[in-house]
Amino acid sequence: MTPDLSVEVGGLKLRGPVLAASGTFGYGTEVPLLERRALAGMVSKGIFLKPRAGTAPSRIVETPSGMLNAIGLQGPGVDALIRDYAPKWEAWDFPVLVNINGESASEYGELAARLDGVPGVAGFEINISCPNVEQGGMYFGNDPRAAAAVTEAVRRRTKLPVWVKLTPMVSDIGVIARAVEGAGADALSAVNTFVGMSMDLHAYQPRLSFRTGGLSGPAIRPLAVHLAHQAARAVDIPVVGVGGIMRAEDALEFLVAGCPAVQVGTATFVNPNAIADVHDGIAEFMARKGFASLDELPRYLPRD
Amino acid sequence: MWVLGFAAPDIAASVKAGQFVNIGMRPGPLLRRPFSVYRAGDDRIEVLLKAVGVGTAQMLAMREGDVASCLGPLGRGFDLTLSAKTVSLVSGGLGVAPMPLAARDARAAGLQVTWVHGARTADELCSETEGDEVILATDDGSAGFAGTVVAAAPDADLVLACGPNRMLAAAAQRWPQAQVAVETYMGCGTGVCLGCAVPLTRGGYDRACTEGPVYVASDVDWPALPSHLSYAVSA
Repeated sequence: MTPDLSVEVGGLKLRGPVLAASGTFGYGTEVPLLERRALAGMVSKGIFLKPRAGTAPSRIVETPSGMLNAIGLQGPGVDALIRDYAPKWEAWDFPVLVNINGESASEYGELAARLDGVPGVAGFEINISCPNVEQGGMYFGNDPRAAAAVTEAVRRRTKLPVWVKLTPMVSDIGVIARAVEGAGADALSAVNTFVGMSMDLHAYQPRLSFRTGGLSGPAIRPLAVHLAHQAARAVDIPVVGVGGIMRAEDALEFLVAGCPAVQVGTATFVNPNAIADVHDGIAEFMARKGFASLDELPRYLPRD
Repeated sequence: MWVLGFAAPDIAASVKAGQFVNIGMRPGPLLRRPFSVYRAGDDRIEVLLKAVGVGTAQMLAMREGDVASCLGPLGRGFDLTLSAKTVSLVSGGLGVAPMPLAARDARAAGLQVTWVHGARTADELCSETEGDEVILATDDGSAGFAGTVVAAAPDADLVLACGPNRMLAAAAQRWPQAQVAVETYMGCGTGVCLGCAVPLTRGGYDRACTEGPVYVASDVDWPALPSHLSYAVSA
């Protein structure tokens, strides 16, 4: 018997537990070779109201079991997104959440208002955790009041599901998680990349032009599992796990840690079919263990 | 400098000069490594490499029969459909990698091919050449022309160049219309990660893996493109 992998997360019914993480799947038209039957949903590349050029190269470097990136949220702006991509999304058989960004709470709110009701837009992921912008981004995400203000500004402008992507660069993720839950978030994504740095021993300067970058990949997985788990213990809304998932077993760690679903990111760069491989591996695990649905998967989520 | 061959029938049948493959290995580094296709035919492709970091060192440790994942052909290659009678293929060091296919395609288009290849020393020259005329150059004068390939190359209706970005910047000064294949760090190779940004003279960036790696030289903002890539890398 094929196990039922469908889940409901933060107001969205999903056909499976594996979504594409923001910034690793473009606007959904770029990744070749993925078997999309397995794709439960997609979070778009982060978008601002206006087009953004992004940071100067070098933008990425590989590190042990990971990579640092400082792309700087390069993107065409919301008008182009609505014109060029949303009409395609409307025809797809999985929901697309738009990852929204701003330099002030009101910019986030305005973006949500612009996108609310646009066919093809199923919901939002508020990015208060990008480490690679000079204004906003992570600086909203490590202050509970600012995080709540941004969430509230979006919540006021839309009835669509609102997810909030959290930064790991905080002393207590539970504080931020509770703040955005209180401000009306339907779900959380935990976590964005960790801030890291790598030095060029030839040029005696950082290898990234932005100096620092966001660390992703298997290097961060145990850190991310811990933070997703901490967030899940702190709130009643669902926490979508993200960070370094390469294989089904990695995703299952997040599920057992208390997440109803996960996002796969950097793995797609390496293996364009990673999402399908993770999905199929979860199905195989469930079948082997005799679970008929994800509700039957035991979770480790003690309440304090 | 080594040649590595892979059985890859689909890529071999469709690859154009200047296109690349993104090669991954398990075990191996996390990210794939991009390589210009050096030669193609008989269901096989070849890439040219030397050990510049951990990833390439691991590739060179592969043995006959080992399996690697080859994603490709990727990117936009050289455009040989322009009306021309002569072409100079100008390469520095490992930048020779796309040139055998460029020579093949140029000959097929009926062009007279001048092969201009340079390196720091005679030892670092690629020994395989393919052209109606061959010009070699070394920085130290140990073989051929003493000086840069850009100085050694004759003018031609069409100039195709590949090599270190510093060399390509010099080529851009002499031949603004040259087609040059740039070198960048690359993540996915398929246009998603936006890691391989190439700064453009008209402003903004595009992706070496998708809009490139071949550019009209005058379209690239050379001072903003890193001229040195550090391959210290990882395990």
